[in-house]
Amino acid sequence: MLDSRLIGLILVFAPLSLLSFGGGQAIVADIQYQTVEVQKWLTNSEFVDMFALSRAAPGPSTLISALIGWQVDGFQGALVAALAMYIPSSAVVYFAASWWQRSQASPLRIAIERGLAPVAIGLVFAGVVAVVQAAKMDALALATLAVCTLILYFTKFSSYRLLFIVAAVYGALVYFAMAGHGAG
Amino acid sequence: MTGKVAGRLPTKIIPRIAPAIPPTRSAATVARNMPPDASPSPDQTSPPQVPILELLGVFFRLGLLAIGGGVQAFMYRDLVEVKRWIDDKAYITGLAIAQVLPGANPVNVALYFGLKLRGGLGATVAVFGMVVPAFCIILTMGYAYRQLAHFPATHFILLGVAAVGVSATLSMGAKIATKLDRDWMTILIALVTFGAVGVLRLPMVPVVLVVVPVSILLFYVMERRRAG
Repeated sequence: MLDSRLIGLILVFAPLSLLSFGGGQAIVADIQYQTVEVQKWLTNSEFVDMFALSRAAPGPSTLISALIGWQVDGFQGALVAALAMYIPSSAVVYFAASWWQRSQASPLRIAIERGLAPVAIGLVFAGVVAVVQAAKMDALALATLAVCTLILYFTKFSSYRLLFIVAAVYGALVYFAMAGHGAG
Repeated sequence: MTGKVAGRLPTKIIPRIAPAIPPTRSAATVARNMPPDASPSPDQTSPPQVPILELLGVFFRLGLLAIGGGVQAFMYRDLVEVKRWIDDKAYITGLAIAQVLPGANPVNVALYFGLKLRGGLGATVAVFGMVVPAFCIILTMGYAYRQLAHFPATHFILLGVAAVGVSATLSMGAKIATKLDRDWMTILIALVTFGAVGVLRLPMVPVVLVVVPVSILLFYVMERRRAG
């Protein structure tokens, strides 16, 4: 049976799921308020750590719900919190996308398609600016960004391979910087 | 360049260089996966059905490896550029619909294209592949975080990873932008959206709630005027 902590997780995350327009960023403030101020499941600094982790991990940043769920009630808490985060919004997307993909060609459909495209592309570039500023990128990171963009734009080089190479090079840089520091 | 790609992915390249060649191994696989009574899709350009395991593989790898905030861009590279299951215009439409609706964008986009490629099963497989590996990793990282957070190296490497994520997004944006219609309205609406959210830093949700209906209305009026 669901205990009260699991029900609490569902009651916090399921409504936020339906409000997460634009993804996790839209509801981060509400998650913080609900879990720290109202439910007192975690402290503010624990929340900040979990937020940083959810941005660094692969997959969607709304997986912060799984981390909070784990804190509240272990593995079952993580599972219930993640499901509460994804099922409501996914149901909405499922029905909207089914309807859209089945609808016949019409002037309205064409207008929706042509009207949405420039908004989406504007948001893609706005997202680039937001991440560059939020991550406080230094000259090295900006140079990495420029080189990787050229590689991905002009070649068919695998984006995963590129990710591993950059992580390895950065790891090597840290290693040699620390080794040099130790010797000097 | 084509020779190099064809050597690595022999079955994928065939439709592009010789669309008229009759059944190959990949075409036979597609035919076997096609239900006999598949209802005709209104979308004339819809691709042939893809094997469900290949779909799971693509999204599983995305859920496992696409770090640094560039999930949609990694997905673009897989679905549009490598597999050629989706074209640029269909991708940007899916991306837009996923952004307008509530939910995590990567999950919504996965659901949208899973559904488009293989119906309800495809949608389930895509979301499963996207969320389950990421779910396991984030719990593992949560467990290890208190040790890792003390190393300055962790933050430094994550910055490099974030740079790759942003570069994938930038490259995708540039590629799609060159394939959009070149009319002044498309350009204007893209610039207004970028200016409001990217430059003025207005909150995304209200901007989208205003710009999307206005944009659709303008294109609708233009479409009717052209028709009438």
